[in-house]
Amino acid sequence: MEPEMQPELKKRSAEVLSEESRISESVFNNSRLMISVINRDYVYEKVNFTFCNAHNVIGSDIVGKTLSDLWGIQTFCEFIKNNIDRCFEKGEIIRYEASFETPGNGTRYFEVTFKPISVTGKEITHLIAETMDINESKLKELKIQEKENEIREKEEVLKKIEKNIPIGIVRCRPDGMIVQANRAFFDIMNCYDETTIKQVNLKSFYQQEYLFDIHCEQILERHIENFGRLSLIDCKGEEISCRISGFLALDSPDSESYLDFVIEDATRELLLENRLIQAQKLETIGALAGGIAHDFNNILTTITGYSELILEDVPANSDLSEKVNKILNAVLRARSITNQILTFSRQVEQEKVAVSVTEVLSETIGFIKSSVPSNIVINSELIGKDVKVLADPTQLFRVFINLMTNAIQAMDENGGTLSLAMKVVDGKLVTNQLNKNIVADEYLILSFKDTGKGMEPAVLSRIFEPFFTTRDVGKGTGLGLSVTYGIISEMDGEILVSSKKGEGSEFFVYLPVRHQFHQPVQVEGDKRKILFITGDKHESRMLSMALENTGFILMYFSDRQQLLHDFAVKTNSPDLIIYMTDSGLIKPEDFLPLYQQLSYPVPCIIITNQNCTSVEDKLLNSGIVKQHLVKPVSLKEIKSAIQLSV
Amino acid sequence: MPRVLIIEDEAELREMIKTTLIRRKYTVMEASNGKEALLHFKPSMTDLVVTDLIMPEEDGLKVIIKLKELKPSLKIIAVSGGGKAGPGGYLNLAKALGAHAVISKPFSINDLIVKIEELLDKEQ
Repeated sequence: MEPEMQPELKKRSAEVLSEESRISESVFNNSRLMISVINRDYVYEKVNFTFCNAHNVIGSDIVGKTLSDLWGIQTFCEFIKNNIDRCFEKGEIIRYEASFETPGNGTRYFEVTFKPISVTGKEITHLIAETMDINESKLKELKIQEKENEIREKEEVLKKIEKNIPIGIVRCRPDGMIVQANRAFFDIMNCYDETTIKQVNLKSFYQQEYLFDIHCEQILERHIENFGRLSLIDCKGEEISCRISGFLALDSPDSESYLDFVIEDATRELLLENRLIQAQKLETIGALAGGIAHDFNNILTTITGYSELILEDVPANSDLSEKVNKILNAVLRARSITNQILTFSRQVEQEKVAVSVTEVLSETIGFIKSSVPSNIVINSELIGKDVKVLADPTQLFRVFINLMTNAIQAMDENGGTLSLAMKVVDGKLVTNQLNKNIVADEYLILSFKDTGKGMEPAVLSRIFEPFFTTRDVGKGTGLGLSVTYGIISEMDGEILVSSKKGEGSEFFVYLPVRHQFHQPVQVEGDKRKILFITGDKHESRMLSMALENTGFILMYFSDRQQLLHDFAVKTNSPDLIIYMTDSGLIKPEDFLPLYQQLSYPVPCIIITNQNCTSVEDKLLNSGIVKQHLVKPVSLKEIKSAIQLSV
Repeated sequence: MPRVLIIEDEAELREMIKTTLIRRKYTVMEASNGKEALLHFKPSMTDLVVTDLIMPEEDGLKVIIKLKELKPSLKIIAVSGGGKAGPGGYLNLAKALGAHAVISKPFSINDLIVKIEELLDKEQ
């Protein structure tokens, strides 16, 4: 029989037990963690003080309640239940972070751990939930994350800029070895193998290596330096004009100093600059040559005059008259030269009208075709006839003849093809091509391309200068292209040329397109405009001739639509209107409403038949009519009526 | 006999025109620039003026305006050897200002005579 435990010992052991449980109770209650014991029915069986304090409750309020009682059914189902279920089913320790609403402290971050336990020693009966407040460290972490994202985004932007910027950026060591280079540098240098360039020395792109050393010294000394424009040699061995600047990279991580070079492609800049210099040079030569030509014309007139006087004195067909005629012929040739120089220097008056370029060009082709050698082919792609420019048709014809003759002469030895093409482009697109202001919404680009001898750069830069010629003395005056240049400039256009020795040349002519309706009639400077509304073209011709030299110019429309349009857009507001009431264009009853579209009162002369209709009478009494003429009227009558009206 | 005033700064050219006109029995007066012409201009004694446009001392365009003021019925022929002012050019401007005919240099003296005769014929 088992001896019964002595009462003393029993008491002692009970004391020890209760002491231990008090300690563990105290540890449990004073833990920094919120601890609770939860059974399979999601009911709290035990919670510690920290838990109660955090929730601002006392233990007896919680024990016996379910988690969904405390957290609300929604939070329980969404965030808690599945974790608890996993812990019970799999017997795993579950740890996760979550933010909860806490009484009095707002939303805070917690780390929650579910630990499965067994009271029976067999299956899992309970779990211990430990919840730690990690709000402060979590907020710090989030802030860091946010900053990291910001930095990453900025890096992306920088990377994109670095990738897309058309400026080459190269980092190299003071000895020139390239450490890093961006995409644009490879592009500018025509290099398509990025791996090799990284082993390359920046020096090797310089025409003179010592220049690179000088650049390096200057950067090391002054930290930043602009070297201006310099010709480098690209990966294909071709010269390329670049704008270079450099600075010392102070941010290098190791003690070695790096140099950063910024390299811009300056080819375009150089091209435009050269073109501008070219244009200015031609302008100067033009002014000079124009002045000389002007004086020469005076002298030539004197020579002609006296020669003609001599011819009056000597018998016709005499020896002397023959000689004088030779003088006159020489003067004619000299006159043609001065005239061409004046055209080049834009001092010849051109009578500009709206001209269909296609019409003039096909006329020129037709004219020139008969004299073209059989080994030369002319291909032309012309567009519709409605593309009009403002030009003197004769001068435009001269431009085309000159360009085509030159092209044919460039090919006369071996034959070839002259290709003509034309297209209309938006004015904005040619802004960069032209040295002058854009004057029209659209530009016509004509191209004359030959497969002839081509020209060297030295020749190319001088072809528009007067008297510059590559032909033998006596063959051509060297004025053709100068004249062409002058005529095109006078039209607010431009002529450009590209050529390669042995491959041929291409001339581009840019002309501002004039839409007929925008500029129906070009009116000379100081002349006063008379709008003549009549159905009869001959009547307007007669009147137009009668008005010659009187300071008036006649605007005449044969088309009703065009007349109405001109009224609506007010492009050419007339100073006087002459209206024939029997004109088919505007009926008498329509005239007054049309007249009222004008922004200011314009004097009117009305011409009617003998017997006025009631509508005509009304018009005559409306107060706008200055003069009333009755058919038939003489030109003299009209002229005096005009004088009286204005 | 019709009376013609020649305004031209080029002495040789002026002399040549003068010689030709005298030969055709015109009464000729001459001036070497616009200022001189205006100073000595006698409206009642002048039927027609031949004037250069680009001259020192009062250019031809101003001369045309002033002569027209002094004698509105005066016939004027403007002569120019190129040079441009504004979009219309000198000759067009001269026309607009009231020149009855314009001739560009170099010209044939016979053409000038024809123009002068035409203008003076119209008068009669």
